[in-house]
Amino acid sequence: MGRRRALRRRLVAVILLLLSVALLTLYFREPSDGPVHHAQERALRLVAPLQDGTARVIKPFRDSWNWVADLFDAQSQNGDLRAEVERLRQQAARELALERENDELRGLMKVRDDPIFPRDVTLVNARVIARSPTAWYSTVTVNVGTDDGVDLYDAVVNGQGLVGRVSSLSPNAAQVTLLTDQDSYVDSSILPGGAQGLLAGSVTGDISLQYVDKSQRVERGQVVVTSGRTASIYVKDIPIGTVSEVAQQDVELYQSVSVVPYVDFHTLDLVMVVTR
Amino acid sequence: MSLTPRIGGEVRHGPHVGLDLVRLFGAGLAAMLLQTTVSPHIGVLGAHPDFVLIIVVCVALLRGAEVGAVFGFVVGGLVSVLLFEPAGIGAFVMVTIGYLSGRYAETVDLSPGLLPVIAVLAASLLGGAMYALAQFLLERQVPTYYVATRVLVPMAVLNTLLAAPVYLVVHSLFGGEHHARVLEA
Repeated sequence: MGRRRALRRRLVAVILLLLSVALLTLYFREPSDGPVHHAQERALRLVAPLQDGTARVIKPFRDSWNWVADLFDAQSQNGDLRAEVERLRQQAARELALERENDELRGLMKVRDDPIFPRDVTLVNARVIARSPTAWYSTVTVNVGTDDGVDLYDAVVNGQGLVGRVSSLSPNAAQVTLLTDQDSYVDSSILPGGAQGLLAGSVTGDISLQYVDKSQRVERGQVVVTSGRTASIYVKDIPIGTVSEVAQQDVELYQSVSVVPYVDFHTLDLVMVVTR
Repeated sequence: MSLTPRIGGEVRHGPHVGLDLVRLFGAGLAAMLLQTTVSPHIGVLGAHPDFVLIIVVCVALLRGAEVGAVFGFVVGGLVSVLLFEPAGIGAFVMVTIGYLSGRYAETVDLSPGLLPVIAVLAASLLGGAMYALAQFLLERQVPTYYVATRVLVPMAVLNTLLAAPVYLVVHSLFGGEHHARVLEA
């Protein structure tokens, strides 16, 4: 009796492990509209409202937690911030002068600013309802999907800049792969100067520009935006972040450029999907 | 498959199977919602607690290896589905965790009250290592030092801290004679 029980127990475990491997194989081998992906969409359609509700319920607690965490951060950053204030004060003075000069030039040349987004795009408001807690995937789930006009690979932004792109869809939810994900690549430009590069995420959450030609002069503090070139899935000039470090090695063909994103990915809540 | 609670290999007279299924469903749903909506906001050194793993271990300790493996497969698979992650990895890891935790509870003396805490710590390290191996096999970045210091250890510590309260909640949900040893400890 005991032996039969032990045998059955092992059999159950082995069958489940084999099923898991089969599921994984099927997931990677089938097209994006295959049965496993369809099952994902259906399951998410059922659970997304629950996740949405839970996300709203925990929001006050989450904000309180963040507030306490910010308080500790603020204490440790106090010294750094004092130095930063001094630097910014000088920068602000310089920028005021530049702004006045800019206004004058604009008036003289009657140059109109390029709009950040072309006229044929629509912004769909969305709320983050879930996110991957593992280090392996930097993704969030938002509460809009195909029913709201969202399409695969649409860019996702918030008030600070580029957040990521839509990578999976269901009728009422979408997965957004964040810029920090190791599978995220964005065709980008560095302003001023216009140096081009490919912005890549990593498992550590850091982002960097790859394939930036050594002949291009890149400096700390320059702004990184989407290039919006013909084949790019992102529209032109969405702000991404600032250059924090530039490294060149003789043996490398390209220079390595570290970027600090504008978006705070830890506190993402409301975002907008740029639908085309 | 038996849904009767078991400790140290001894089969006890358990609650009605239907009621137990409802409890398992409740525990599974709670695990999924906690994992996808609460866990991302509780972080230490960039790592987050794995509520699914903790609850799978607790259920396996209270209900044995078979139930633990099946529960792990379902919940691990569903969380992957909900997060649009590759289906199968979570299920594979949680089946292993559920089965081994259940076997542990069936074969050792459970009288020391820290067992759930120790089981969760061991399961966290094993589960984290299995996830890392899966990522390596999928040809994704797995920097060893970063994974060890910023993923595995902080996650294991967080899970261990949460093990006792979660075990008490799961235990009270499933009832049974094996009352809260964690408190006794």
